[in-house]
Amino acid sequence: MPAIRESGGIMSVNESIHEQLKKAGVTLAASLPDDWVASLIKRIAADNTMRHVSVAREAEAITICSGAFFGGVRSVALMGATGLLTCTGELATLNLRHQIPVFLIVSQRGSIDDHRIYQEVQGRRTIPLLQAYDFPYHIVNKPDEISSIPDAYETSRLQKRPFVLFLTRKLVKGDGA
Amino acid sequence: MKAREAIEAVAKHRGEAVAVCALGMAANEWWAVTKGEDAFYMHGAMGFAASFALGLALSLLDAPIWLINSDGSLCMNLGCLLTEASQAPKNLKHFVIDNQVYQTVGGLPMVNQGRTDYAAIARGAGIPRARTIASLGELEKAMPAIAAEDGPSFTHLQVEAETGFLGTPPMTYEGPEMKYRFGRALEKRFGITVFGPQGY
Repeated sequence: MPAIRESGGIMSVNESIHEQLKKAGVTLAASLPDDWVASLIKRIAADNTMRHVSVAREAEAITICSGAFFGGVRSVALMGATGLLTCTGELATLNLRHQIPVFLIVSQRGSIDDHRIYQEVQGRRTIPLLQAYDFPYHIVNKPDEISSIPDAYETSRLQKRPFVLFLTRKLVKGDGA
Repeated sequence: MKAREAIEAVAKHRGEAVAVCALGMAANEWWAVTKGEDAFYMHGAMGFAASFALGLALSLLDAPIWLINSDGSLCMNLGCLLTEASQAPKNLKHFVIDNQVYQTVGGLPMVNQGRTDYAAIARGAGIPRARTIASLGELEKAMPAIAAEDGPSFTHLQVEAETGFLGTPPMTYEGPEMKYRFGRALEKRFGITVFGPQGY
């Protein structure tokens, strides 16, 4: 079931994710866009209660969030699966080594309904790679699963490591797109 | 000037600043000079001390954050200067110790050794308060003003290339212990909550 606004009406997927991030206490978001998360990033960037940091490389987002952790600020790194693959070294040598939690929202590119040739490897190897590092992840495929974000965030803190929340194509683009 | 002398001159003026140090020479020398637990010493993620420091600066807006970077680390993530410029944190100062070699891993020359104008790159990225300092006398004279100015600022320190093994030992703790010592030091100093009621 899609979330309902207090004022009535159905929330969009991006509106719900944004709301759940706020519910988790997130006040800083660092991002590099992928086309599936671009509209979510735009929405968060327009929220003046949340500090938005555009970065030039995804590992910057990871390490900005890691620094923010020590400032007592809850944060999220937003990117595509390709970007996630570029920062596995930093996630391992900073976050895994020091047990610094970082919460990532990542588009699950390369799925069976993503027919872009340059996303194919990401689809096959991203999750095995996370499993090799023992980084927990959770896949959100339906609007009514978005409410799991605060629990996922808490799990990241509890497990003291990177946690990846994947957004599927079906969720962000809808069934018919 | 030698790297140690540059670090000593910078550290002398740090006041209440919280330091973030790039891995290798910068971290080892800062630890040797300050023995500070209110500093984060990177052990990995080469190139990203700058981004870590930016995240800290954006989260602790009233705390002075000093980044002790190195030429090798800066070159791994030059894009950090664009991000730093776009956020323009008044509390962040970026120092780069440029010894022109990968000192910690054998002293091999830096890429484009001796020809890179890092201060010009910082200015080009949008950080106007950027300068190069090549002598100890000049650094000692400049430090009071650098310490007092608003960030973001960028100070490129040209030091002698020391290709031999410096032998400066790293800090005496690491990994999760560094996380907890640093986090607890910040909690105590700034009255913030880094760790929850159950310690994680």
